[in-house]
This record gives sequence, structure tokens and C-alpha cells, in this order.
Amino acid sequence: MENEENKKPVAGREKKDGYHQVFNLEMDRRSALKRFAGGLFSATAAVTTACSVTASDEKKEKSNMDWDEYFKGNYKEMTKDERLATVDRLEKMYTERTGKNVNISEKGEVENTLFGYAFNVSKCQGYMDCVTACVTENNQDRDSEMQYIRIHEIEDGKGFQFNEADDNYYHEVPNEGHFYMGTQCFHCEDAPCTKVCPVEATWQEEDGIVVIDYDWCIGCRYCMAACPYDGRRFNWTQPHVPEEEVNTDQHYLGNRLRKKGVMEKCTFCIQRSREGQNPACVEACPTGARTFGNLLDPNSELRYILENKKVFRLKEDLGTEPKFWYYTD
Amino acid sequence: MSAIVKLVKDSLDVTTHGTRPYHIWMAFLTFVMLVGMYCYSIQVSEGLQVTGMSDGVSWGLYISNFTFLVGVAAAAVMLVLPTYVLKDMDFAQAVLIGEGLAVAALLMCLAFVIADMGGPARLWHMIPGLGILNFPSSMLAWDMIVLNGYLFINISIPFYILISRYQGKKPNPKIYIPGVIISVFWAVGIHMVTAFLYQGLPSRPFWNNALLGPRFLASAFAAGPALIILVLAIIRRWTKFPITEQTIKKISMIVTVAAQINLIMLFSELFKEFYAPTHHSESAVYLFFGLKGKAALVPWIWTAISMNITATVILTYHKWRNNLTLLYIACGLLFAGIWVEKGFGLIVPGFIPGPYGQITEYLPTQIEVGVTIGIWAMGAFIFTILARVGIKIELGEMKYKK
Amino acid sequence: MVILQELKLRLMKTKLILFAFILGVIACQHDDHHANSVSNQIKEGEKHYDGVSVSSEDLTEGIKTHEVEIGERKFHIRERESQIKSFPCSGCHTSPVNQIQTEGEQKAHWDIKLDHASEDVMNCMTCHTDDNMDILHSGTGKEIKFNDSYKLCGQCHSPQYKDWQGGAHGKQVKSWAPPRVSNTCTSCHNPHKPGFESRWPSRYNTQKVEERK
Repeated sequence: MENEENKKPVAGREKKDGYHQVFNLEMDRRSALKRFAGGLFSATAAVTTACSVTASDEKKEKSNMDWDEYFKGNYKEMTKDERLATVDRLEKMYTERTGKNVNISEKGEVENTLFGYAFNVSKCQGYMDCVTACVTENNQDRDSEMQYIRIHEIEDGKGFQFNEADDNYYHEVPNEGHFYMGTQCFHCEDAPCTKVCPVEATWQEEDGIVVIDYDWCIGCRYCMAACPYDGRRFNWTQPHVPEEEVNTDQHYLGNRLRKKGVMEKCTFCIQRSREGQNPACVEACPTGARTFGNLLDPNSELRYILENKKVFRLKEDLGTEPKFWYYTD
Repeated sequence: MSAIVKLVKDSLDVTTHGTRPYHIWMAFLTFVMLVGMYCYSIQVSEGLQVTGMSDGVSWGLYISNFTFLVGVAAAAVMLVLPTYVLKDMDFAQAVLIGEGLAVAALLMCLAFVIADMGGPARLWHMIPGLGILNFPSSMLAWDMIVLNGYLFINISIPFYILISRYQGKKPNPKIYIPGVIISVFWAVGIHMVTAFLYQGLPSRPFWNNALLGPRFLASAFAAGPALIILVLAIIRRWTKFPITEQTIKKISMIVTVAAQINLIMLFSELFKEFYAPTHHSESAVYLFFGLKGKAALVPWIWTAISMNITATVILTYHKWRNNLTLLYIACGLLFAGIWVEKGFGLIVPGFIPGPYGQITEYLPTQIEVGVTIGIWAMGAFIFTILARVGIKIELGEMKYKK
Repeated sequence: MVILQELKLRLMKTKLILFAFILGVIACQHDDHHANSVSNQIKEGEKHYDGVSVSSEDLTEGIKTHEVEIGERKFHIRERESQIKSFPCSGCHTSPVNQIQTEGEQKAHWDIKLDHASEDVMNCMTCHTDDNMDILHSGTGKEIKFNDSYKLCGQCHSPQYKDWQGGAHGKQVKSWAPPRVSNTCTSCHNPHKPGFESRWPSRYNTQKVEERK
């Protein structure tokens, strides 16, 4: 029998999800569970705690912060105040978790800069000091031994045939009859990764650095498929950095601690370069094979290299316009 | 409005009552779904490292199944087109089944995408307005729009037709014909867009060729209707829904032509890769012959291609095609072969070798397989329910009683 | 039937418009591609370049440097004399260098073995002045201060010298920002044994091995 009072509010035909409302409620629950398990639980917990009368103020503040962090927008579109608020929250959440302090900067681009990088193939001896420095500086996951930089050992006479290269060697270097080339994210001007990200979680800043908003990334890994240079890394699990090794000078778009399920990559050490410092890899290289600089400064060392040395870039034919040049003595 | 409520009530009634085999089937599917959910919960808590994917091969079983199933969903239109546009009524009964299959396949696609995501709780970031949708630049953004749009069309049009018939009314062509025509073009659209996801990446030369989109369409129109034929066979066996042999034979014509075109395209690919191999052919070498001793996919692809060729040969010879048993075997072979060839036989080799030639092989883990079969069970479950309700309404067993 | 045909016509029109739209989108993207080339970006950005708001000065505070002028270039380099522990040497040592050179007479610096070019080309006196150990000298006998030792190296290593002047050889101190502070030759190269030693890499990635199995 019809029951007028128990009528469900029907928007069946107008709403896209009309099917869900009409056909199969069981499926609804299952798919809801599957799809929103993690987020819904934590969000509900946040709401419950935040509205609870009995939970402590600390707990309420924490769940308020969790709520704000979950629902904040893309960093690119935030106002200055929103950015300050989010780094403040992140700093507080870290202190709460570990008792220690971090400094997360939201410093914007330095005007009149377009960062570029040059790598001297003749000078690299394969020491991998740059890799170590990068891992330490950027708080990369130690469990999966994540490394933004790869150093390829190539046999003399083979040319730049990377498929014949060894990027995980362990013997005395420089190895007789071989030369070395390092690769990392090249911060392309026409980056394929930024083009394909469905939520614009990765973009190129005004100073040329291609960055990722770790909290906006949904972890679809399309950018990883699109990158021709193996520049991007994915956190397949919760990244872990031992407490005493955490670099506490952080930037929101740079080396702040990431979470599982998000992408990350070389950011030209944005926390350093925007303060005028050289990236960690440049600083660590004992042979001076790496040069970093401002492409817009006609007197920079980088411009000198581009104008006076025989420079080339990798996979030039793909049209990605990387800002990382190689040269030889 | 009360008709919809009554429909819900009747549907619930009809799907929870049935014969013993029906209950066993649904129980089995539920069990597999629970296994899948359990595996997925492990994946959510520990992260995607519980799968076999890695930085080297960052898309695996989930995206392979997604790619394949988009094709199956698009193929439902192959029945819609003749029925409504060409007014070939032999297809009429099969249409609702096809649409139901499309809905089930689409929901499976969405489920696979969500299973593959690193941050499913942040899915709302894709909704324009709430989040940001990188349209028109990102093909994934296009895919989200077209898939959801296709889902909407394939739910609303059959829903309208069913609810009319449920009430004993005749559905008004002025309402459903435009939707039907749009769905025909839209189906081609969803599969081309999904193909463009891969086709538009110069970093992966195995995918970056002009033939990928058309190949997707050809294999979709072979595998989709093949599945429909198998499903119709099951429906003929287990329900009173009248499916004429003529319908099945006509669908088999579509499968045949599509399978033949698929083979032609395959040969074109093989020629391009192996006549004058370049550094860009390495992925194909890995897939068909193995590279530097790594040959995990070689047995799979050769089996798949043999199945495809066998099936196409059976289908081509009309005496064999018209033998229903042989037809069903051929459809099964074709479906399985294309599942391999277009699934992980396409996605995984795209990543091998990597951008600097490094070879990282991929092997799905138990959890990955668990979630996959869970989602397939979910698809079968949804389809069974939709088909059951649809058939009951069409047979007049489910009627709206005031 | 008429309705159907009308609908088909309308659909055709929509298809054409959609097609044109897609073409437009693709075409626009193509234009952007050329504008994005780095050389274009540099040309555009250079037009209004007037320096940057960060400076190397904060980072190089505490590092002793002095300014050099080579050709048209002026930049800072690390100071050397203040880094040598007991400079000036003549504060303690009064014997001429060639005497200290002989075996038995050497007390300090006895462990300095010259591993730089060959015996035919170099010995201690090539760079060090025999009657004044506080100063170096060039091939023509001109005095060169320790602080300007790069002038010595540049005599033979002119390609590296030229590259170093521009910034293609060597390393800048801590910062990419102006004013430029550069390392000198001796910041990285021991003048008596300038080659880089062979050593083991600083790490080995065991996870990568697992992944690639």
C-alpha cells in the first residue's frame, strides 16, 4: 500500500545519482564503504569530537585542525592569509605529534627569477654525494630509499644510451672506461606532468619551479606516466623519516613531510633557493659539476654556461623545454 | 512519484527472492565482494605498496581492468544503434540487457579508478566548483566527465523506459530517442577519450601512436558484444525472457567484423614495431619476446593473440558462427583474449622499459587480485539485479499496482 | 519520421560545432607551445630584469672574501691568506726555500709530495719563490700573492681558468644570488696533488634492486 508520509524525497530523474536512490540501496552501502572508508571515518570522528561537550579542548582543537586541513582548497588559489593559516596548522600538528618544532615557509617566488640548472658531464665522478644530500635535505622516505636524483654510469663509447646505463652501481668511482650523468626533475617549461594532472595539484610557479601541493594530490599517478624523465616519485606507503634526521627548515611546496598516497619530486630545494641558497645537491657536489642559477640574470654563471659551453638537454625532440642543461668541459 | 517508490519496493522484493541457484549465485558474489572489501581495507590502511606497483610500473591490474571495461561499457551502444535508430527490432530485447551491462561495467570502471587512487578520500578535489577540474587540458578530467555523463544517460534512458513499462504505459519516443542517439555518439566518445589518456603521452612510445584510439574501439566492439552474447545465452537458459536465435546471430555479426578489424590493427602494430625496430619498439620487444631476460608477459600475450585468432577464425566461417556452442566458445575466447591484450598486455608494457631504459617487472599481489575479483563480483552482482528487474518488468511479472 | 530527421540534423550541427571547438582547443594549445620555449621566456623576462630581492650576503656572512677584477668581470673569491694557519711563513722561517727543499733539512711540509704534472714541468720552485716564502710567482717572475693564486693555475690551465671566470668551472659559495662569491682553485684542488681521489659512492639503493628483480 502506498504510504504518503513515508515518501522519500525524490529527485531521481534530475540528479545524476538517481540510480543509486532508486535501484539498489545495498550497493549504495557497499560502494560508500569502499569509497569513503578512510576519509569519512576521520571526518566523522573530527565532527563528533569537535562538537562533543565532553572532549577536551586540545582534542577539539586537533579535530578542528584536521577538519580545516581536509577541506582546504588548492594552495595555488589560497589567499596569503589562508596560506599562513595552513602552514600554521601544519606546524602545530607536527608539534602535537612529535613534541618538536618545524618551520614551514610559504614564501612566494623571488621576483625576476627563472631558475635553471646545468650539469657538467665531464666533472661528475659518480660519488652520489648529491643523492645523499638531497635525501637528507628533503625529508625523503628512508624505508623505500626514495631518491629524487639518479646517477647513471654509462660506458665510454656508448654515447648517451641510458638503457645501457647502470643507475645503481656500487664500486669505486670513477669506474675506468665510464662516465656519469645525473638526472632528476628537469622543471620543464612545457611540462607534460602539469598538463595531465586532473586536479591541478602540480603546476609551475612564476620562478620556473614545478611544484606539487601534497594535500591536493589525489594520487592517480597520471603525472608519473606522463613524465619522460623519471622525475616524479610516489609515496606507496606512509613515508618515514627518523626523528633526528628531519630537516626542520621546510617549505609548504618543498620538503615538508608528505603522507602516503601523494606524489613528490625535486623542487630545486625551494626552501633554499627562494632564500638565495643553492640547492643541496649543488652544495654537496665536491667536483663542482652542478650549477644552479637565475636564467633572467645575464651575469649569472648559468647564463655564461648556456652561452659559452656546448649545452644540450635530454629528449629535446619531445618539446618539453626542460630547464636542465648538460655540458662538457 | 509513488511509482518509483513502488518500483524500489518491488525490485527489492524481486531481487531478494528467487530460486536456489539464484541464491547460491548471489551468495557467492557477496562472498567474493566481501573478500574484495577486506583486501581493499588493507590497501587503504597500508597504502598502495601492498600492490605490485612501483615507481617503475605505476599502473597495473586496476587500470588495466578499467581500460578494458570502458570498452565493454561503450559496446552496449552496439545494440542500441540498430534497435532505435535503424529500427531493427530483433535487437529490442537485447537492448535493456546491454544497457544494464553498460551500467555495471561503468560502475566497475569507477570502482577500479577509485581502488587505484592513492588518496580516494580526496576524490572531491575533482569536482568542479568544490575542487578544481583541469579541463580541457587533462584527459583524465575529460574521462571523468564523459564516463559520468555516459553513466547518467545509460541509467536515465533505460530507467525511463522501464518505469513506463512497469506502469503499463508506452514509453514516449520523443523523450528517449534523442537520449539514445546521444548515447551512440557518446559511447564512441568515452572510449576515444580513454584511449587518448594513453595516446597523448609522448613519454610512453608504446602508447603514443595514432592507432590506439581506433584499436580501442575495434576491440571494444568485439569484446563487449561477445560478453552480451554470453550473457544472453545465460538468460535464455535461466529465465523465461525470450531471446531469439536471430538476435544472437545478428550480434555475432558485429562481433565478427569487429574481431577482424581488431586483428588487422594488431598486424599493423606488429609491422610498425618489428619491421624496422627503433628504440621506441623496446616495449613491444619486451611484451612479445622479453627484454634482457625479463619475459613475464610473453606467455600471456601469445596465448591472448592465439585465442583472438582462433575466435576470429571460428566467427568468420559462417557455419561455425551459426553453431551456437561454437559461437559461445569463440565469444569466451575473444573476451578473455582481448582482456589480456587490452588490459595488462597494453598498460604494463607501456612502462617497460622506463624513461631511462630500466626494466622493472610487474606482478600483481594477492591483495590486488582480491580487490579486482571483488570488483568484478560487484559488477556481476549489479548486473544480475538490473537484469532481473528489467526482465521481470519486460515479462510483465513486475507490474505497478496502484 | 520528420521529427527524427530534424533531430538527426540538429545532432549533425552540434557535432560540427563540437568538432570546431575541439580543433580550436588543440590549435590554441599548439600556439602556447612555442611561447613556452625557454629562450622565449628568457628574452621576455630579461626585458625588465633589475636584480633580485635576495642576496648572497646573508649566506656568505662570516666567510672571508676579497674582490677580484678579471677583464670586465668583478666578483668575490674566497680569501686564502687568512686560511693558512701560520701565514706569513717568514714569520718563523728565515732559510731560503731551496735549502729547506733538501732532504734532512725539511722539518715542516716534509710530507708534501708533488703530484702535479711531471718532474720535467713542475717542482716546488715553479710556483714558490726561493727567497720569499710568503709569495708565489708567475712564469715570468711576476709576484703573485697567495690570495691570487688563481693567476698561477691559469697559466697552464687556461680553458679551466676561462671557464672559472664565467662560472662554468668550480662552484659558487652557498648562493646563486648576486653578488657573486666564488670558490678559488685551491678551494677544491690541493695545488700539490690537484686530482680528485677515487672513492666509493656515498650510498647504494637496496630497494631499487628489489624492485627490479
